[in-house]
Amino acid sequence: MNTKEQSFSPRGSIIVFSALIFLTIATVLLSGLDIGNAGALIIAMSVAAVKAGLVLYFFMHLNHEPLIFKLFVALAIITLATLFLLTFSDYAFRGIA
Amino acid sequence: MSEQAVTVEAFHHHDEEGTRLGFWLFLFTELLLFGAFFIVYGVYRSAHLNDFKIAAESLNTGIGTTNTIILLASSLTMVLSLNAMKAGRVKLAKSMLLITMGLGTTFLIIKGFEWNAKFAHHLFLQTSAAIAEGKGSPLLTPGPEMLPDGQVLFYGLYFIMTGTHALHIIIGAVWMGIVYFWISKGSINPDNAGVLERCGLYWHLVDVIWIFLFPLYYLVA
Repeated sequence: MNTKEQSFSPRGSIIVFSALIFLTIATVLLSGLDIGNAGALIIAMSVAAVKAGLVLYFFMHLNHEPLIFKLFVALAIITLATLFLLTFSDYAFRGIA
Repeated sequence: MSEQAVTVEAFHHHDEEGTRLGFWLFLFTELLLFGAFFIVYGVYRSAHLNDFKIAAESLNTGIGTTNTIILLASSLTMVLSLNAMKAGRVKLAKSMLLITMGLGTTFLIIKGFEWNAKFAHHLFLQTSAAIAEGKGSPLLTPGPEMLPDGQVLFYGLYFIMTGTHALHIIIGAVWMGIVYFWISKGSINPDNAGVLERCGLYWHLVDVIWIFLFPLYYLVA
């Protein structure tokens, strides 16, 4: 990355930060709704995933990184998701057979 | 150019992109560490859903939300610090780094008060040695006053997961102090800001982990 000509421009970061704060307040307010356990968990985790995506993409500068970085991060997330899926599908069906 | 000169140049070559990619690989191992915690949380939560909800009610959503906002703000100031550094505004970069450290410390102080309130209610992590000596909390040790298993598990996971996270905050804050010192010395400068950038990546990852801890402990009660 050529750094010399870059000027200090906090605007983009402040917009991302505002979105993060908005989502935080939204998820707190939504958690007050009586929509059952599964619904509340799905909403809370979805909002968290969007927030994490914003931090990864903008604050951690994945938007400026070459494709290989994005592929690496995607692979790490897929690995983690596979571990979750395998473990939880195992536990969900224990005691049935 | 002589062969020796080529070799020397190759030796001094610093691949900033490769260094960054390597640092991301380290961050993935952090993801796996916390990922394992989240799996344990998920499995026990599904096995003790009601107890987890009752225990989570005892956590203060206001404190959790405040700490979330503090950590998000610290992520913003960290990004601004790197932006300022790359734009050659070293003084601004240093101020932003100090604010980030301050916000991280504030997070820890609030977390400390929160933990203290739990200690006052006889909720803490206890070793098997302490239990053997009769020093365990009656709420967490087998006996007439013991909480249901699910709640004991919830508090155990709460202390382990927020504690491991707090440890990362401490490491991040100490690292920022070192980076601040190096900026003052001039070894980190607008042309050589890689260490500040990686410190920022670490800090943001710690923030990402909190983004998931927050709803699981404070919201889905």
